[in-house]
Amino acid sequence: MAGPLSLYVPGTSPLHRLPASVKLLGLLIGGLVITVPRPEPLLLGVAAAVLVALYLVAGLGLTELARQVWAVRWIIVVVLVGQLLFLPWHVAALTSIRMLLAILLAALVTLTTRASDILEAIERGLGPLRRLGVRTERIALVLGMAIRAVPIVIDLASEARDSQRARGVGGGPTAMVVPLLVGALRHADDVADALAARGMDDDEEPVMLEGSERLRGASRRPPRR
Amino acid sequence: MTPAATPSAIVVDAVSVERNGVRVLESVTTTIDAHRVAVIGANGSGKSTFARLLNGLIVPSSGSVRVAGLDPVRQARKVRELVAFLFTNPESQIIMPTVAEDVAFSLRASGLPREEVSRRVIGILRHYGLDDLADRPAHELSGGQKQLLALCSGLVREPGILVADEPTTLLDAANTRRVSDALIALPQRLIVVTHDLALAARCDTALLFDRGRLIAQGDPGELIARYERELC
Repeated sequence: MAGPLSLYVPGTSPLHRLPASVKLLGLLIGGLVITVPRPEPLLLGVAAAVLVALYLVAGLGLTELARQVWAVRWIIVVVLVGQLLFLPWHVAALTSIRMLLAILLAALVTLTTRASDILEAIERGLGPLRRLGVRTERIALVLGMAIRAVPIVIDLASEARDSQRARGVGGGPTAMVVPLLVGALRHADDVADALAARGMDDDEEPVMLEGSERLRGASRRPPRR
Repeated sequence: MTPAATPSAIVVDAVSVERNGVRVLESVTTTIDAHRVAVIGANGSGKSTFARLLNGLIVPSSGSVRVAGLDPVRQARKVRELVAFLFTNPESQIIMPTVAEDVAFSLRASGLPREEVSRRVIGILRHYGLDDLADRPAHELSGGQKQLLALCSGLVREPGILVADEPTTLLDAANTRRVSDALIALPQRLIVVTHDLALAARCDTALLFDRGRLIAQGDPGELIARYERELC
C-alpha cells in the first residue's frame, strides 16, 4: 500500500515498465483533456472509465483507487463548496469531478513510478535550460526533498499537537505554529548539514562568508558541543 | 608532543572554535591513527564540534585539521569523498523518499553507470539486511532501520573513514546493539561520538573531552573509568 503521498507501489505491470518521461507526457496530455474542454458528463464518464481501467492494468486495484479518493476528500469538498456559492450545482459538481480525476491521474503516475525516475525525467526534460545557466539537477533535488519533507512535517505537526495536549493546552492552530515552525527550521538546518556531509555542496572552490569565518558547506549555527 | 602521523592519520593541531564570544573548543591537539576511536564526555564538552571539524561542517577559529593530509575546509569535496558522516537523527539525513533511492542519491555525482549504481545499492542494502525494504518509503522504517539506512547511504560511496555523532542515542536497546555491531565491524576507520559507554569500550582508543578541552586520550577502559569517576 502507498503512503500518504501516493508514493511508489512496486510492480511489474505495463504501466510500471513505461519510461517515466512517457508517463509524464501522458499525464500532461490526459490532464489537458480532462481540464481544458467544458466539463461534459460524457467526457468525464469516459475519462473515469479509462482511469479505473488504468488502475486495474497497473495492478493497484479498486481499493487503492478508493484510498486515493479518500485521501483528497477534503480538497474536493472545499473546491465543491466554494463553487456552489457562485455556480449552478451541476456545473460545480462536474468541475469538482474533473479536478478529482486529474488528481487521480497524477497519483497513478507516482504510484507506478519511482520518485528518482520522475526526477531524472524532469532533469532531462529541463536539460535545455542548462544553456541558460540553470542548474537543473538542483531543481530535481529540491523536488525530491520536497516529497521527502511532507511526512516529516506531518510528524512534526503530530508531535506539536500531542505536546500541547499533554500539557493540557488546547491544540489550536496558533499554539501549533511556533513549535511546528521551529521544528521545520531545525530539520532544514540538519538536512543542510547532511547534504554537505554527503558531498552535495559541490562548489569546487570554497566561498568566504562572514568575515572569512565561515566557508561554504560549513555550519552557520553555533556548534553543538 | 604529537607523535609522527601516518599518511592516513587525522591530525588536529591547536584547534579552537569560538562562537559568539564563547570558546566551545579550546586548543585541541591530537593525532588519530587507530581503527576505532570513541569520543566521550559530558553534554556540552565539545565532542560534536570536534566530530564536525573532521569533514569541514565546522570551521576552526584557529589551528588546523588534516584528514589524510587534506584540509576539510579548503578541500571539502575530497574530504567528503573520504569521510562519511552519520548524524544522531537519521530522519534529517535521509534525503530521498524511498530506501533504495536514498542510497542511490549518494552516488548521484559519481558518474557511475546506472547498472553499477543499482548493483552497489542492492549490495549494501543486502549487507545490512535492508534489501527487502528497498522500495519502501523511508518514513515507514523503524528508528534502527532508518539509522542503518543512513549508514548504508554513507558507506555506499566507499569512504575510508566514518564519523558518527551519537548514532545510537535515539535507539532502543535492540537497535542500539544492531547499529553498534555494524559500526564496530566496519573495515573503515571509525570515529564515534557517543554516550553509550558499552560502544566506547569496544573501540581501540578513546578521546575524553571536558568543557571544550581534550583532557585525555588512550585506552577506552581507563578513560571510561575516569569519566565515570571524575566527570559524571
